[in-house]
Amino acid sequence: MHTWDLIGHRRWGYLLSALVIVAGLAGIAAWGIDFGIDFTGGTLLDLQLGREASLAEVRATLGGFGLEEAQIQKAGDRPREVLIRTRVLEEAEVSRIQRAFAAQYGGAQVLRAERVGPRIGRELRRQAVVAVLVGLALQVLYITWRFRSVRFALAADVALVHDLLIVLGLYALTRRTVDSSFVAVLLTVVGYSINDTVVILDRIRENQQLRTREPFPRLVNRSILEVLVRSLTTGFGAIIALLILYFYGGPTLRDFIFGLGAGVVTGTYSSIFVASPLLVEWHLWAERRAGRLPAARPVVETPPPAEAAAVGAPPVPGRLRTEPARRRRRRRR
Amino acid sequence: MSRTWRLLIVLALALLAFQVAFAPLDLQGYRPRLRPPALRVNLGLDLQGGSRLVLEARDTPQVRATPEVVDAAMRRIEARIDQLGVVEPTIQRVGDRRIIVELPGVGDPERAIRLIGQTALLEFVDTGDRSLPEGARWNAAGTVVTLPDGRTLPLRKRVILTGADLADAQAGFAEGQVAAGEPVVNFQFKDSAARTFEEHTARNIGRYLTIVLDNRVISSPVIRDRIPGGRGQISGGFADITEARDLAVLLRAGALPVPVDVVERRTVGPTLGRDSLDLSLRAGAVAVVLVVTFMAVLYRLPGVLADLALLLYALFLFAALTALNATMTLPGLAAFVISVGMAIDANVLIFERVKEELRSGKTLRAAIQSGWSRAWSAILDSNVTTLVGAAVLFALGTGPIKGFATTLFLGVLISMVTAILVTRVLVDTVARPPLDRYLRFGL
Repeated sequence: MHTWDLIGHRRWGYLLSALVIVAGLAGIAAWGIDFGIDFTGGTLLDLQLGREASLAEVRATLGGFGLEEAQIQKAGDRPREVLIRTRVLEEAEVSRIQRAFAAQYGGAQVLRAERVGPRIGRELRRQAVVAVLVGLALQVLYITWRFRSVRFALAADVALVHDLLIVLGLYALTRRTVDSSFVAVLLTVVGYSINDTVVILDRIRENQQLRTREPFPRLVNRSILEVLVRSLTTGFGAIIALLILYFYGGPTLRDFIFGLGAGVVTGTYSSIFVASPLLVEWHLWAERRAGRLPAARPVVETPPPAEAAAVGAPPVPGRLRTEPARRRRRRRR
Repeated sequence: MSRTWRLLIVLALALLAFQVAFAPLDLQGYRPRLRPPALRVNLGLDLQGGSRLVLEARDTPQVRATPEVVDAAMRRIEARIDQLGVVEPTIQRVGDRRIIVELPGVGDPERAIRLIGQTALLEFVDTGDRSLPEGARWNAAGTVVTLPDGRTLPLRKRVILTGADLADAQAGFAEGQVAAGEPVVNFQFKDSAARTFEEHTARNIGRYLTIVLDNRVISSPVIRDRIPGGRGQISGGFADITEARDLAVLLRAGALPVPVDVVERRTVGPTLGRDSLDLSLRAGAVAVVLVVTFMAVLYRLPGVLADLALLLYALFLFAALTALNATMTLPGLAAFVISVGMAIDANVLIFERVKEELRSGKTLRAAIQSGWSRAWSAILDSNVTTLVGAAVLFALGTGPIKGFATTLFLGVLISMVTAILVTRVLVDTVARPPLDRYLRFGL
């Protein structure tokens, strides 16, 4: 087993997370979240035209119905397909639009037609928020109860919020539509992220009970490495499956698969670089508060460039040794 | 229990599951027959094409939309759909005043929606010596008429008979000299209504009897003579025979007691449905083959055993979905892939653990024993959190999301059992000479 010092380099992890999250938040600030008709109410028409048509052409046709402001999308690999989203239309209007397209583009087959009334949209939105909040709360409660430790549960929760922020930010950055299926994405990502975090925390807990003579940061580092093969194997397997579904599974599921894939990557990442380091931070903070550690903290003090230079070096030269007495750790299990 | 017995139980369960999911044995008839196995799980609208409508009942000045009234409306809608010839529609009331209608594989959803959403209250109105043009409208209270040119006219709606008084209605073509070949609806009143009709026509010769559908005037014929026998004809206002047929269907099924609005409508065209099914099945198959190969390469014999357990898992899942009459949707297929991932993950966790135990010098038996028991808590925790999420989605989600939640919940539950117990039974079966030397878990 290699002895990578992941915990020693945890600040690079924080930096990367911060960058991605800030980019995502900037995306949300710049473009907003593109809510689908599920949440806003409206009409969606997915048409397969008889011939290829440019966005301008399609917009002109829609202009004949006073729908110039409609959102029009085309998928790159399906040139004849157009996706139109606009306000709530009457059934008869939809038929007229479809006939107009059929006349102008040599046929217009309805692949999908959806109409969501504004009230239903509001309800679905409320339901989605309730589902995410209730789901999260229950999952967090379960983890807290299982670990019987607020510290472990909070570490898992922060990793979780981190993952959800990243997935949401990526949706905004890639201008994907957030609709009902996004709720399913979020809760599944929660499942995967917690799953992955639990596996590592579980090992940390187990090692804490077994060997108490090891400094906590090193114990966490060792625990991560012990389950790293499993984390990567599973994550890798999941990504393979999702990639195949993404490219060959048809266009309908694409956003959904994208969200899951992003969740798998960040879920795997956050267990190692967010949840576990947080446990360490909290531990060190508690130690300092108890006055066991001198004010100068070797572990935190080293500036990032020096840490980069330390890659490949034996586990944290000279740092972890300054960790406080071993007996303390025995109290918590 | 001996190893042989446990293996036999697993095999028996697998056979049972195969029968439930694919039904190679037809047990319907007098004696069982063999037939080619086929997947029997219900496909959702997103996979076979079709329409899903959410209707909401509206109060009228006369009638409040109570659950009983909405149920009555639902029965009428059911009767209309029956006449459309839709295979296996589902209709259910949700909450107090909503009705969800699912129509798999409807070719012309617009027509279906027209038929379902129309109140179809037919009224025969005495308008005295005034003839109203086609398209004139009464207000909801029945006191003012708006003419097609926009002028309004105060006129009480004096209803003589309604669609509820009809015994039958059929579409046909007009005969005779005037407007021959024009589509019409011929109707027949019930006995008591036929007498009322006869009396009214006898006393009002030369006046107008206006036919009104959902407050909109269809035609306004003059009464020329007494009409005995309770037969009549509605003509005018039909663009083609289909419209006449649709009205006949509506009249036979009866009017809705309250008007309904289509507040949500989702249609998936048959092409997209079939496309999605084909594509996702193919992609799913490729993904599963890759993952299975991955396991076999990584862990060799134990990996193959885990793959076998995975196969059994897929079988059990489809059997469970079929037995529970659940519906497989596109997100459901994604949930299936996720649960495959979790099953694989459980085995990876266990195998990695066994590997560690072997490295620390334990015997094969002991390593298997402690590998399984130590990996258990992590597997349980991760699966339970996913189960919690799936349960919440099931409780709060609708349509395809519910399909996702069902499959995810069942999938995680079953995969936990197969990945832990079935793999264990299989591993135990080979964990003795001569095969046990292949159980290296990738070391």
